[in-house]
Amino acid sequence: MQRFQAGFFDFYQRIFPLPRTTAPVIIVGIEENSLRELGQWPWPRTRMADLIRAIDAGKPLAIGLDVFFPEPDRFSPANVAAQLPVIASETVRFLATLPTNDAIFAEAISTAGAPVVLGISGEEDEDVRFANSPSSQPVRFIGTQDFPIKAYKGYIGSLATLSAAAKRHGLMNSGSPSAVVRRTPLIAKVGEGYFGSLGMETLRAGMDVPLTVRDGGGGLLEIDFGDARAVAQGDGSAWIRFGHHDDARFVTAYEAMVGKVTPDTFKDKVVLVGITGLGILDYKTTPLAEFLPGVEVHAQIVENIVNGVTLSRPRIMPRVEALTLITLGFLFIVFVPRARGAQYGLALVVGGVGTAFAAGLVLFQFFGLLYDPMLPSLGAGFVFGVVLVGSLATSERQRRQLREQAARLAGELDAARRIQMGLLPDPRETFAGERRADVAALLEPARTVGGDFYDCFMIGERQLFFVVADVSGKGLPAALFMASVKSQLKSAALRGGEVGAMLTRAQDEIEHENPEQLFVTAFAGLLDLQTGVLQYANAGHEPPYARRPSGAPERLPHPGGPPLCVVDDFAFPTSTYTLVPGEWLCVVTDGATEAMNPQREFFGVERLGTALGWIPEGAPPEELIRRLRDDVRKFADGAEAPDDLTLLALKWNGN
Amino acid sequence: MTVTPRRYANAVVLSVAGRLDQDTCDDFRVELMKHVEQTARDGGAIVLDLEGLEYVSSAGLRCFMLASRQAKTQHGRIVVASLQSMVAEIFEISHFNLVFQVFPAVREALAATSADALAAFEKK
Repeated sequence: MQRFQAGFFDFYQRIFPLPRTTAPVIIVGIEENSLRELGQWPWPRTRMADLIRAIDAGKPLAIGLDVFFPEPDRFSPANVAAQLPVIASETVRFLATLPTNDAIFAEAISTAGAPVVLGISGEEDEDVRFANSPSSQPVRFIGTQDFPIKAYKGYIGSLATLSAAAKRHGLMNSGSPSAVVRRTPLIAKVGEGYFGSLGMETLRAGMDVPLTVRDGGGGLLEIDFGDARAVAQGDGSAWIRFGHHDDARFVTAYEAMVGKVTPDTFKDKVVLVGITGLGILDYKTTPLAEFLPGVEVHAQIVENIVNGVTLSRPRIMPRVEALTLITLGFLFIVFVPRARGAQYGLALVVGGVGTAFAAGLVLFQFFGLLYDPMLPSLGAGFVFGVVLVGSLATSERQRRQLREQAARLAGELDAARRIQMGLLPDPRETFAGERRADVAALLEPARTVGGDFYDCFMIGERQLFFVVADVSGKGLPAALFMASVKSQLKSAALRGGEVGAMLTRAQDEIEHENPEQLFVTAFAGLLDLQTGVLQYANAGHEPPYARRPSGAPERLPHPGGPPLCVVDDFAFPTSTYTLVPGEWLCVVTDGATEAMNPQREFFGVERLGTALGWIPEGAPPEELIRRLRDDVRKFADGAEAPDDLTLLALKWNGN
Repeated sequence: MTVTPRRYANAVVLSVAGRLDQDTCDDFRVELMKHVEQTARDGGAIVLDLEGLEYVSSAGLRCFMLASRQAKTQHGRIVVASLQSMVAEIFEISHFNLVFQVFPAVREALAATSADALAAFEKK
């Protein structure tokens, strides 16, 4: 996870590589050409002394050596003599009186105008060659006792002669050789003293100022010297803001030695001497995915310090990232399932994660803070995935439930429809063998189960009772109410009396069973088959048409009353009309008169009269009804019927 | 369907236009009930001006009936005026004059329900 996060911080570095705006550091590289010209490495210390003098002549601010010299120089005259047993003994004695190369190098160091800083490498184990602590420049600590500043038990440095001459040391450590260099120890304890990184110590030696390390808040260390300031993590290491490798930082050792560098190249610069020859050095990989000589890492640290560029990761950052995770997760859990479309949910996710990433970039570039939006985003993305899968499953389940519900409801409505249709009598069976009258009826239900019905039956030998009715409203309530009204009407009719009284009686009963406050229009008739006298009562229903042989259809006069269940205790009057033999009567519901064509016109009463007038003389009721139904259908011209269509025709043939 | 209220003293004239059927019934009743209590308290009436009403289905009639019953429980009075021929015929066949008093025009309806309202109507 750490590596993953570090990789993400590398990504920041790659987006915003630090431009090189100032050049406080010059690197003297001991590289291929210098080795070719001046001999193989390690050079005799006399040559190093020459190099120091050559650089010092350019009046640098300070010189730092990113090299250490732990062993005595084997080219010192005495050592050379020891390696050549055949030479004369006075020669040996003479050579022994000559100063060692190390002494010459030490002298070059101590007599240089600019301070010279030697590199030391902090080691986890004590090295017997370097039992004594190296001399350090003064460091003051303020409020840092609780900080876990890195301490090395031992170190590898240079010969005591050289150390004593330089008096100043800087840490050469710049991270493990194989990994990408992101953090490097800026301050660490070695033995009894505290040391800054080589670059920083060289800069400070040049400025000749004390160094203060204090609690910088947020678990960070603040390092001040002169007007320079750096920020380190609690352990003394610091994140480096990297820029690209730049050849302008470099001159070669050879050029420096033979005076081929431009005048003033070293003037007031921090000069770092390092080995950059390919065969011998430690190359580092930076977050910018470049190989840099280790010495250039130190140079970049100095550039960071001089330019006031810091990069740090305060202790609170992991908590900020956790908060990001919680916030994003909360957003996703609460709002993604409520988003009206998948695209809004996705926009929320992209927006949330995008904001976190943008915040990370802004904090990096403008505040030098390392904030990792990646882990919270991945976490929140995981939450999003879970929520998405959950809400998909939920909506799938809801869809299935709806489908099942719809199917069940459709099944129930179908059943209601079948039951409703089953309640209607078939006049052909009811009046089979009845010659005095012919009756035909039809009920075409609309798509939704409706509340039309008709009924017809004999009361005794002479009286034919019929009724056509329409319950206001649709659906199951209307269908159930219709069944109740039909049975109440039948029982009211069978109790005898005038037709109006039958309706009044039925209304009294129905009112008790009408929680939905539905009402029913009804036309009821009672035909005396012996005399052709028709008693009828109308409860708010469309009056029927009658047509005598060779006459025109005429609407029956319509005294009567309101629909059943509209006005309590209304007493329905009975009217009388006498049929002539061969005369027929046709009762319809508003499924006929209010049938609508695509132009939203009604079939209407007049059209009904006209249609009935066109029916051939002597057509039996069954044909009459079929023709009328066809006329209504033709008029509707494919428009869906809004209501049930009920037609009942009755023809009195005479006694 | 649209319902436009106009107030004359203690009476409210609601102009109903369009079609009254199953789909528009609830809107109509909500609008009507806003005024029932007020006019009942002021001793006035609600006049339904049906000049713009093209058509009433049986569900629409039931809507009228329910409105009338609801108004009655609140001691409100509703009358109708200016019925178009088609609506007038529906009212006639279904004898809804037993449910609402029917007037040929809004003026007559106001005259029959409240002198104040008529005065206000005449002034405008």
